[in-house]
Amino acid sequence: MSSHDPRYGGDSDSDDDNFNPAPADLSDDENNAQDTRARKTNRNEPRTSSPAVEEQEDDDEDEVQPPAGKQPRIAQLDEEEDEEEEDEEEQNDNEDDEEEDDEDEDDVQGGHRRKRRKDRRAAFFDIEAEVDDEDEGEDDEKDGEEIEDFIDNAHPDDIADSGRMNDDRRHRELDRRREMEASLDAEKQAEILRERYGKRAPARGYGDSAVVPKRLLLPSVEDPSIWAVRCKEGKEREVVFSIIRRVEERLGTKNEMPIISAFERGGINSVMKGYIYVEAQRQNDIMIALDGVLNVYPRTKMILVEIKDMPDLLRVIKTPNLEPGAWVRLKKPAKHAGDLAQVLDVTENGLEARVRYIPRLDYGVRDEMTTAEGKRKRPGLPGPRPPQRLFSEVEARKRHPRNIVDNPQTNTWTYMGEDFEHGFLVKDIKIQQLEVKDVNPTLEEVTKFASGAEDGTENLDLKALAASLKDSNTNVAYVPGDVIEVYEGEQRGVIGKATNVQGDIVTLQVTEGDLAGQTIEVPNKGLRKRFRPGDHVKVIGGSRFREEVGMVVKIVDDRVTLLTDQTNTEITVFSKDLREADDIGGQGSLGQYSLLDLVQLDPTTVGCIIKVDRESLVVLDQNGDTRQVMPSQITNKLPKRKTAVAADRNGSEIRLDDVVREYGGQQRQGKIIHIHRSFIYLHSNTTSENAGVFVTRSNNVNTIAAKGGRINNASSGPDLSSMNPALKRNPAGPNMQPPKSFGPDRAMGQTVTVKKGGYKGLLGIVKDTTDTHARVELHTKGKIITVPKADLAFKDKITGRPIDINTRGRGGFGGGGGRGGFGSSGAGDWSGGSRTPMASGGSERTPAWSSSKSSARTPAWSRNPDTSGSRTPAWGDGSRTVNPYDGSRTSYGGATSYGGGSRTPAWSSGAKTPAPDSFGHGSKTPAYGGGGDAWGSKTPAYGAPTPGASGTDSWGYTPGASGSHAFDAPTPGANLGAPTPAALNAPTPGVYSAPTPAAVSAPTPGAWQGGWGADTAPTPAVGAPTPAAYYGAPTPAAYGAPETPAASGPRYTDDD
Amino acid sequence: MSESFVAPGHQRYLRACMVCSIVMTFARFRDEGCPNCEEFLHLQGSQDQIESCTSQVFEGLISLANPARSWVAKWQRLDTYVRGVYATKVSGQLPDDVRTTIEEEYRIQYIPRDGSATEAD
Repeated sequence: MSSHDPRYGGDSDSDDDNFNPAPADLSDDENNAQDTRARKTNRNEPRTSSPAVEEQEDDDEDEVQPPAGKQPRIAQLDEEEDEEEEDEEEQNDNEDDEEEDDEDEDDVQGGHRRKRRKDRRAAFFDIEAEVDDEDEGEDDEKDGEEIEDFIDNAHPDDIADSGRMNDDRRHRELDRRREMEASLDAEKQAEILRERYGKRAPARGYGDSAVVPKRLLLPSVEDPSIWAVRCKEGKEREVVFSIIRRVEERLGTKNEMPIISAFERGGINSVMKGYIYVEAQRQNDIMIALDGVLNVYPRTKMILVEIKDMPDLLRVIKTPNLEPGAWVRLKKPAKHAGDLAQVLDVTENGLEARVRYIPRLDYGVRDEMTTAEGKRKRPGLPGPRPPQRLFSEVEARKRHPRNIVDNPQTNTWTYMGEDFEHGFLVKDIKIQQLEVKDVNPTLEEVTKFASGAEDGTENLDLKALAASLKDSNTNVAYVPGDVIEVYEGEQRGVIGKATNVQGDIVTLQVTEGDLAGQTIEVPNKGLRKRFRPGDHVKVIGGSRFREEVGMVVKIVDDRVTLLTDQTNTEITVFSKDLREADDIGGQGSLGQYSLLDLVQLDPTTVGCIIKVDRESLVVLDQNGDTRQVMPSQITNKLPKRKTAVAADRNGSEIRLDDVVREYGGQQRQGKIIHIHRSFIYLHSNTTSENAGVFVTRSNNVNTIAAKGGRINNASSGPDLSSMNPALKRNPAGPNMQPPKSFGPDRAMGQTVTVKKGGYKGLLGIVKDTTDTHARVELHTKGKIITVPKADLAFKDKITGRPIDINTRGRGGFGGGGGRGGFGSSGAGDWSGGSRTPMASGGSERTPAWSSSKSSARTPAWSRNPDTSGSRTPAWGDGSRTVNPYDGSRTSYGGATSYGGGSRTPAWSSGAKTPAPDSFGHGSKTPAYGGGGDAWGSKTPAYGAPTPGASGTDSWGYTPGASGSHAFDAPTPGANLGAPTPAALNAPTPGVYSAPTPAAVSAPTPGAWQGGWGADTAPTPAVGAPTPAAYYGAPTPAAYGAPETPAASGPRYTDDD
Repeated sequence: MSESFVAPGHQRYLRACMVCSIVMTFARFRDEGCPNCEEFLHLQGSQDQIESCTSQVFEGLISLANPARSWVAKWQRLDTYVRGVYATKVSGQLPDDVRTTIEEEYRIQYIPRDGSATEAD
């Protein structure tokens, strides 16, 4: 195919011969003999210029002369055109057929054809976009084929084809031409295109200014000047607004504002704050304009901004775009200010980001506190903020069950109007409330986020972290001697030793690789320190592991894992935070401060040291926040106060080393290591967080175990020891001790003799006491010694007789006074009687008994037996002091038998149960009352004893009488006979109660006389009654039956 | 008369047009639209449009008294705009569709005012 022939020889027979053996000569006639020619000549020009033009040309041509379909694009056009212009065409009918055929053929033809067809269409729709040569080239190549196809189809059909054939040739030629020109003049074409379309944008005047490059806008001397005028810092915006107000107000008036513009570049971190900049022709204009504007001071020195500096005033630095995964710090919710947050999503306009962070929730705990103090307290007030902790559904439900909406499938909740996902608080926050630059997240903070994955896997994205740390990379200080690896840029992989560091440029002496031996300079941007496994390194910054020293065990990229010397734990840090170490880190103490010490941070804050670093300490302050402090920041160390006491939630006292558990909250349990005011520091081995130390309020814990089995709960809860049968059966001394009494120790001021030890036998006066010991001033030596209380025998000051101070105490005996009331004889007996409890305390009861009994009791007993029926007598004894003595003693006698007798079993079985109760009550004064009542109710059983019964109830009032009565008549018969059993069973409780009164009676002596029975009855009763009861009531009965003992036994214990 | 003035108490409602950087309150954008860009931004009465085409994050306020004479206005490409308060920097990106529209239909070259354009200079 010769490209040029067709052009000249419109018909180019030679070509025809070649391709088309049966040319349709006549076809030309109708349409276009002349036209074709003319067109062809025209055609060439435009075609070269642009495809678009060419197409138009083609179209025209086609109208006249349907092409043979040789030229793909044209053919395509033809098809369409033809349809439109059927009328004009001579052989319309055929035309269609032909086209169809054509198409068929096309379909049959190979892929290239189909493809081309597509191209054709594309060309039709969007011609200017298609400057490609490819089409043309392809066409050329396929020309032969096409033509043949065409011929095959067209020839038989129509004469018009011949005309087409001619055209066809022309087309082909044209194509070739076009191709050639396209290839030759790509540039030219491009230029034409540009000419044609490129002008569109500027065509419109609007953007004129936008197109002018900035360099052409640089200020010149013709431009107005700019002065910097001082203004009040932080008021820049207001000033600017004031100025525009003034401008607009004075617009069109005589004194129009002469200034041209004013602007500010304030901002908290801006170096340009405190100034506004005013553009004006003359300085004086500014004076006029700003005169009287608030917060701006034009009369101070104005600074003229130099022309070359003017563009800098308006420099804008793009805020880096936030990317999901990036780390930011929160500025706004005050509670979370400074907390690290991770960007989850950024809105399209980049103005809001969805971030997640670890909530600081108190779950309403503090709400209550504030409401208690008054509702006016501002909610957002910065108090101590709760520590960061992942959201806990359980906690939330505890107080705000209605404010939580959950969706367990996705592990998300809505609580108090905020969304939580996987424990994190997720919130949309405006970017101006985020600190985007210099975030410098520590690995520790980031790890908290990583551990939040729902499946528990660590999904810490170190890459993202590294990216956000890149900012802080400038902080990396390389020191000559550091081994450094280049990991970015052309010299990647180069390893060397830093020999010099100047600004951002590090000079490396290359030690490895091809460049070994050379010295190169590299910017420190693409550098990282290089370590080898086994290196001994120290963490120098950027992470919570600061100051740790350890050995490198693994290196992945710039993440180095090391095994710390101190704790043998593996930690991972960035290599930039490491430095080759020559020392060994980690002592347990820093200066005078050691782990778990309590230190004073400021007058209102104390903290417990939970970590000791090389130069700093980490303390857990009383609000539960940890902070790192330098030793110099610590006011002083608070010594451990062994005697510190606090009250737990139930009011029980708690001391150091007690084990307590939080009530509510996380229910953490731990041993008290410090008590400071209302805060207690606990240590637990179950958690390693904060070295196992946590802090809580003392009124938020329950005692689990008090150190040394201390009775920690005198005022509430059952007395365990009194309920323990084993203890009852084999009462041990300590357990028999009287219930805790209040007020000063009764031993104080008592005259005592020392029973044991080097001072044995010496007489003295108790000056001071503790629970177990007494300080005794010896009469003889004039010296004060400390003696265990158990080694003391108390003596009556006057008579020198042994006394029981507890009884006395209980009796409400003032001691001497009480006794005095008694009368001497009474006193003696009395003490014996009352002592019994003491006695019981000491041994079983018997010994005590014996002693006390010995004197008075027995007789009493005897009486009691008599009274036995109602016991009342005994009571009576109790109540009337005088008698009581006897009475009690009597019982004593009884007691003896008692002891010998059946008691023990009885104890355990029947009677006891009630006993404890009555006891519990009994021992405490109020109980008495109750006891009395009980008694009363029981009395029916007692029935017989009535006197006694009545006595009991009326103790306060009639005791004497009733008691005495009881004594006389009923006792023997009743006791022995029937009543006893009855009494035993039913009464037992009663008995207990009964005794109480008895107790009353016991003291009564004093009381009686004093008339105190009524008032004090209870208290004294406690002490005294019991014994009385035991003796009095139970004894007889008890003796008779098993019960009594039981009754008495328990009582005793307790009472004592 | 001073319609551009915004009392300090209302400055929290200020927004800056991302195209021309004029600073006005949300209410004024809503009531009047953008005095410079209303033709193609159609902010008036459309809260959505205002929220997507104006930004609350901006800095460096400029009181422009005489745009035609001001070098500041020229430098900031504000010299054809109306008198008023403008921002030096407006953070935020115009939505893509809006941007495409104004560039293609209105033949306006959009220059972001968030500082990304200056890097090119």
